[in-house]
Amino acid sequence: MTTIAPPPFDPELAAALAATGQDTVATGITPDTLADARAALLEGVPSVADLAADGTYDVEELAVPGPEGGQDVPLLVIRPRDAVGLRPVVYHTHGGGLIMGNNRFGVDLVLEWARELGLIVVSVGYRLAPEHPFPAGLDDAHAGLRWVHEHAGEIGGDARRIVLAGGSAGGTLAAALAQLTRDRGDVEVLGQLLMYPMLDDRNDSVSVRQMAGIGVWDGISNATGWSAWLAGRPGADAPRYAVPARERDLAGLPPAFLDVGSAETFRDEVVEYAGRIWAAGGEAELHVWPGAFHGFDFLAPQAELSQRARQARLHWLRRLLGE
Amino acid sequence: MQNLAGRLAAVDESAGAAIDVIAYFDRLAQSRAGLEQVVRGAAVLAGVPARLVDPSRRIQVRVEPDGVRTAHADPPDPRWRWHPVGPDGTGRVVLETDRRASLVDDMVLERAAMLAELVISRVRRPGPSPGPDCAVVEVVVDPHVLVDERLRAYRELGLPAGARALVVAWPGGHVQVVAAGAPLPDAPRLGVGTAVDAPDLPISAARARTALRFSADDTADDPGARVVHADDLGGLELIAAAVDAGAPPTADLRSLRRAAEEIPHLVLTLTRYAASASIRAAAAALFVHHSTLQDRLDHAERLLGWDVRQPAGRLRLQMALAERLLRR
Repeated sequence: MTTIAPPPFDPELAAALAATGQDTVATGITPDTLADARAALLEGVPSVADLAADGTYDVEELAVPGPEGGQDVPLLVIRPRDAVGLRPVVYHTHGGGLIMGNNRFGVDLVLEWARELGLIVVSVGYRLAPEHPFPAGLDDAHAGLRWVHEHAGEIGGDARRIVLAGGSAGGTLAAALAQLTRDRGDVEVLGQLLMYPMLDDRNDSVSVRQMAGIGVWDGISNATGWSAWLAGRPGADAPRYAVPARERDLAGLPPAFLDVGSAETFRDEVVEYAGRIWAAGGEAELHVWPGAFHGFDFLAPQAELSQRARQARLHWLRRLLGE
Repeated sequence: MQNLAGRLAAVDESAGAAIDVIAYFDRLAQSRAGLEQVVRGAAVLAGVPARLVDPSRRIQVRVEPDGVRTAHADPPDPRWRWHPVGPDGTGRVVLETDRRASLVDDMVLERAAMLAELVISRVRRPGPSPGPDCAVVEVVVDPHVLVDERLRAYRELGLPAGARALVVAWPGGHVQVVAAGAPLPDAPRLGVGTAVDAPDLPISAARARTALRFSADDTADDPGARVVHADDLGGLELIAAAVDAGAPPTADLRSLRRAAEEIPHLVLTLTRYAASASIRAAAAALFVHHSTLQDRLDHAERLLGWDVRQPAGRLRLQMALAERLLRR
């Protein structure tokens, strides 16, 4: 594999990364180092009490029926205390490469939308690979989504306005859920918000090679995540919905919002996925943030680029939800 | 996975945080960051609002600790911590806090000031801008431009909103807007307008231009005050209006001009005399003995045809000298 120079990082993002005292974050993860990586990812993740933000939100932990024959699925339900009536629901699938994280990871960013637009946030705790390879995680996420759709009123949610949202591997699940519910017709999904989503197990694009060992989440970590998710199966034999980018038919999907950094592993696959949605006559809004690494807005939320990225998502949601 | 602010909060007050601060600004310096990025770094790392102000370069940047850039809210508090930017000392990086000194705050201020200086020298002229900044100022002082548009231009000049300002007029037609109470620019000649609220700056500009006409290079050939304040003109503004309206030169001015052709340095002598409280003071300003000055005034009075040492004659002299300046 030849090395290709990556695009330079945005100045503020590069500075924030440098100030964390490390050159890279979540790169080179292998099955041997997974336990440490899991702990590092959850460092600083908010507690349920943190999420309540001194009474700004009501936070409730539910356990709802899981996939057939399976265990219950934990749902974290967060509702702005000042929300009135039935509000749109953001169904959040957390990131962490399909192998790390919990349903509080990355929720802080989603809560900003909840506060701005008065949305109900439901964050699902799905089973992680490699202990539980595909389809366990997607089945859990799907079961949770079906419960939300059927019981929306019980959590103050509007069943006709459910938006899927997820960053990184959360984007894998959100994109897969959009495909699955399109085909089964069991849940009406209004839109899918995919933040720097992990979409393609092939892991061989130019951006993957450019970012080898650089920035946040490189090709080695990515291979570890996909291999665990697919239980070592070759991707070409992957079952339907396991790998969103391998879905042949991208027509008829709910409107999509996609964003990605120009300096991250997922750049090319996200751009390609958006292009295929358009080619299939679908609706997609794509933002490629210059010089951004994976999860930039999470690592450096104050940076100008992060502020702009958050604004773009908020604007899309506002239009989509008619708020 | 902690974000930057979370990490700094966790290692606050320690050398570890200071190292993070150094790494942050070093990396920012390597990749061509702008001034806003520098100020944002200071605000985020210190966890309080930060400002960069440099009146001589019209730089004003304020960023909240959440990274959002805002307009300057309040006048600066003298207790806030700050560090000068650059050797000329006109700029400052400010942290909006009066908490006790800490290693991290000191490091943030020092590094931010260093980088700000670097950015300023890279993207701007090295020194304070010497002359007035035409296009934007022209909008601010143009009475034919809508008030909203003028106020927008006013903000662009970086002057504090809501504060009073005045216009100074330079020879050659340029004008400049200066915050009321701020030091005046160093110029060979200046007309200084009245301090007004921003919407009234066109009035200040008109008066500054009038004041400029009463100023002089203060040389032997062109004696008079170099800096003239419109507020000090009083009724002299009426003479300017009369001249503009086409009034012919007065008989006193014609006499003055004729006399000036016969006596060298007459205008200089009379100008110094008219500006002084006494004959002795005028003689000192002219570096002559007071009896010499008395002799020259005798000579001047014969040619002018009136007594410049009586109160009424002194007023006539001052009017004639003012008219001379207007009709140069």
